[in-house]
Amino acid sequence: MEALATLFDSYPALATYYTTAARWIFVGLAVFILGKTALSLLARRNPSEIWAYLRLPDGSVRPLTHWENVIGRARSSDIVIDVMTVSRNHGTLSRDQYGNWRYNDLGSKGGSLINGRSVYQSTPVEMGDTITLGGADCILVPPSLKEKQENIKQRLRSTRGVLPWSPIIAITIFQIMTVMQLFASKGSKLPFTVLLSFLLLTIVMWAYCIFLRIMSNRAFEMEAIAFFLCTLSLAVVSTSEPESTFKQFIAIVIGIIIYTVMMFFIRNLERGVKIRNLLMIISVALLLFNVVFGEERNGATAWVSIGGYNMQPSELVKIAFIFIGSATLDELYEKRNLTVFMIFSIFCLGCLALMNDFGTALIFFVTFLIISFLRSGEFTKLILVLGVCAVGGLMAIRFVGHIANRFATWGHVWDYPDAGGFQQVRAMSAGASGGLAGVGAGNGWFKSIFASNADLVFCYIQEEWGLIIAILAVLAIIILGLYAVRSIKSGRSTFYTIAACSATSLLIFQSTLNVLGTVDVLPFTGVTLPFVSNGGTSMMSSWGLLAFLKAADTRQGASIAVKDDSEDNDELFIEDYIAMADEEASEQRLAQAQKTQRTRSPHGQSQPGPQTRSTRPAPKQRQPEQGRPRNPNLRQGDVEITDFSQLEDDDL
Amino acid sequence: MKKLERRAILCLALVLVLLGGIGYYVTRLVEYGGDWVSYPANKHIYNNGYIAKGVIYDRNGKLLVKNNSEGKKVYNDTEGIRRATVHVVGDKVGNIATGANIVFADKLVGYNFIDGTYTTNDKSRELYLTIDADVCRTANQALDGRDGTVGVYNYKTGEIICMVSSPNYDPNNPPEVSSDDDSGIYINKFISNRTVPGSTFKLITATAAIDTMDDYEDFTYTCKGFEQYGKAKVDRVKCAYPHGTVDIQKALEVSCNCAFGKLASEVGQKKMEEYTQRAGLLGRYSIDGIMTLPSSIEFTSGGVSLAWAGIGQYHDLVNPCSMMVYMGAIANHGEAPIPRILSKMKLPSGLPGSVGDTQMTDELINADTAKTLARYMRLNVENNYGSYNFPDLKLYAKSGTAELGDDKSPHAWFVGFIKNEDYPYAFVCLVENGGRGAEVAGNVANQVLQKIIGND
Repeated sequence: MEALATLFDSYPALATYYTTAARWIFVGLAVFILGKTALSLLARRNPSEIWAYLRLPDGSVRPLTHWENVIGRARSSDIVIDVMTVSRNHGTLSRDQYGNWRYNDLGSKGGSLINGRSVYQSTPVEMGDTITLGGADCILVPPSLKEKQENIKQRLRSTRGVLPWSPIIAITIFQIMTVMQLFASKGSKLPFTVLLSFLLLTIVMWAYCIFLRIMSNRAFEMEAIAFFLCTLSLAVVSTSEPESTFKQFIAIVIGIIIYTVMMFFIRNLERGVKIRNLLMIISVALLLFNVVFGEERNGATAWVSIGGYNMQPSELVKIAFIFIGSATLDELYEKRNLTVFMIFSIFCLGCLALMNDFGTALIFFVTFLIISFLRSGEFTKLILVLGVCAVGGLMAIRFVGHIANRFATWGHVWDYPDAGGFQQVRAMSAGASGGLAGVGAGNGWFKSIFASNADLVFCYIQEEWGLIIAILAVLAIIILGLYAVRSIKSGRSTFYTIAACSATSLLIFQSTLNVLGTVDVLPFTGVTLPFVSNGGTSMMSSWGLLAFLKAADTRQGASIAVKDDSEDNDELFIEDYIAMADEEASEQRLAQAQKTQRTRSPHGQSQPGPQTRSTRPAPKQRQPEQGRPRNPNLRQGDVEITDFSQLEDDDL
Repeated sequence: MKKLERRAILCLALVLVLLGGIGYYVTRLVEYGGDWVSYPANKHIYNNGYIAKGVIYDRNGKLLVKNNSEGKKVYNDTEGIRRATVHVVGDKVGNIATGANIVFADKLVGYNFIDGTYTTNDKSRELYLTIDADVCRTANQALDGRDGTVGVYNYKTGEIICMVSSPNYDPNNPPEVSSDDDSGIYINKFISNRTVPGSTFKLITATAAIDTMDDYEDFTYTCKGFEQYGKAKVDRVKCAYPHGTVDIQKALEVSCNCAFGKLASEVGQKKMEEYTQRAGLLGRYSIDGIMTLPSSIEFTSGGVSLAWAGIGQYHDLVNPCSMMVYMGAIANHGEAPIPRILSKMKLPSGLPGSVGDTQMTDELINADTAKTLARYMRLNVENNYGSYNFPDLKLYAKSGTAELGDDKSPHAWFVGFIKNEDYPYAFVCLVENGGRGAEVAGNVANQVLQKIIGND
């Protein structure tokens, strides 16, 4: 490396030639990385899984494709029962990660019975039980063995053929070439910590991916996208504030840790739901601390200094905000849950208003609206809230000086190049100078402008890396969002779905404010670009929010959050089933398979612990988590394969 | 869950907003990227706010200005050229906003959408203008310190060969200009000014009359020196002397105000407005991106105001460049090329860069009308201005003496074109407060045109 620095030092022309070629190679690599990951994420359908069947009074059988299902007469219900005595939203039928089903009456007019007994609250339901909704008898039926095989096959198909390594290799090349470009630009003046940070980032990335692969994860496109953006972030910091590069790297590592820990919590729905109260307390404490001890910067007191480190607590609260806003289907029908969320939202917005942090407040507000809409679906109420807040916002703009200034120059910053439009004019001038491929990392001048590597980072990238990579960085976030939205179709719980969609909306809205604010399409609000901007807490919160998106990925072996432990134990086992399914397994073969299962089942049972679902041909004995009270109504062996066959014969 | 699926569309709406915003930004970048790059804070091309790259030459390779890496500017050695081209080239500190050194900063540094300002070497780009520095110098000498402007362009190719604005100064020795100065020293009057056109505007009225009056050839008018439009003394159009009975050609030749007042009245407000618009006077031309100032003409529904407006007085204000283009359209029988000032560009590698092609205006005048009008303009020269005053030039012209009132000396105008295979040039010549159009401005025009055809 030293030799490289000396070489570029002594032959400046060589550095120029390197940059000239490399800048287009960077574009090519970036297109490859994002193209490959986007294709892998979006080209395959997230498999729709069948968890059970419901036999309706008319004799038809409807699959339950989610963990949480609304049953009712309304066409928007997951299971539509077209009987007049059934309420529009009559009840919910939900299962937990162990396969225990519960029915909950939603205050229907006709009432609900389970096996003839009236139920008024969430009640366990067994396979074969009759649920009577307003007089209409429905029977819960487990999926057949063959269908389970088909499910597995489908899930596997969506991750099979995913080549997670090629984008990772491309990112590695990107990182190595970036370091060389930094040498070409700075020569031997390049600080050692920059070099170290890049080296460690590459190591961390590989270590993470190899670890996942060992854990039988087949797909890590989302992480690849995040690592790519982090590479850009590190490059931006290393050219603008070389001394902060290592700090930014540490932020990435902490971000990955937060991401992994969150995944651990989210994978178990119950645990995820429980942790919300703790998160709420922490958030309230953080925000109060911020309001009291906040330091003022540019009119906003969004920063606190803890042990010499500056942080933006509101960034971390974003994660909690999504957590608290998300709810399982039954919770959606609870008043208390909504009230808690409303109060927490108002508290957050109030604190942000006290801090004068207009940009973040706007992000929270829009996320609040999105979550409210996802939860209630009421547009009119939404518009009303929006209207009231718009008036309030206008008043705020009218009275708060620095916000008013930003709005005053909006749309014509070029008329105020040395006043209100100072930063954006320079951003656009520098950005346009970069052309499509940039002037090369380290060769720009925009770094000398305040907040260029954070609030104005889009144009920073545009100047040094070019318009294509700048747009790709934004597209990367959009790709993550599109994937999350698409995954709803196969979403298991509304908790995951609301979390993924609102985290996506938050990331996309924040990117919108950042990018369009920088280039004067929207007023400049001074927020960061997720994963890219310089700033530790922003980086950590980006990774944290990514966990919500990843949790919506239900493909086999695609995520830590949604995972099947049988795959850990015995991958071949699943393969066997696929092979059998392909041959249109006959009854005999199925019977054989059942035998195999029986012989293997002790092995499977030796792995207690949280299981999100079972891919065994025969469901195992339900294994509750240690300490968790066992469902008193759970009949031992009720899901033994023999029962299945019987059910199939009798009921299907 | 099914409900959520539908609600998630809201997230997609956010995606669309972001994509739409970026799309909008990119279109703006394509359109204005050059301007943004040229902002003096851009250290890729400026040094301490001064452009640090590029050389500008005239059409014959005479140096107009060279920007060195310290942001200093080196101008032509000859003071006369420096003065005559200061408005074309631009001054040292950027007071002249339409100067090529400012307007074409993006081209001088080699900006393009694909590569931005990225270059592999520090060699300069060379920009060649269509201007002939020597012709400009002659024009400035002919103006002889009087305020005004001279513009000459090739009505086949659109190349501006001469563009001089006065007052002007030596950029190497800029004068102290007080902040309330209204002489227009920093304004290129050819591009960014408009002035009372006087009788040159009769060409527009004539065009409208020829086109709209079926019997324009039979039109006769007996001028008794004035024409009354109302009872008051001010409701009167006057001529310098009674012209007697004139037809439309004769009226143009002797520049009879009374006859043209009558013609404007007969054509009427609507048609006068339509023909002024069609002649391109009310629009703006983009001279390789430098926008001209539109003319401003106001017609009333009738009476003496309409008559005066048709004579080029009242509130009429015409931009010299747009008048010159109209001359080009008459010479060309309908359309004229849009003026250009960029001739060619040499990249640091020595390869030529693209500067755009000649583009034509819409039809500014009907072809037959143009022929008729050209015939009249030739007769103006033969019978009134005197061909002997313009030796070796097959000149077609119209003079104008724009009265300003308040005992100010009138603006002298002379506009037209010459027919010559090798020198197809249309011109506009304005000497502010110069006196009689044909004599004063005609003389300036003659000197410039003689220089162009090589009669020094």
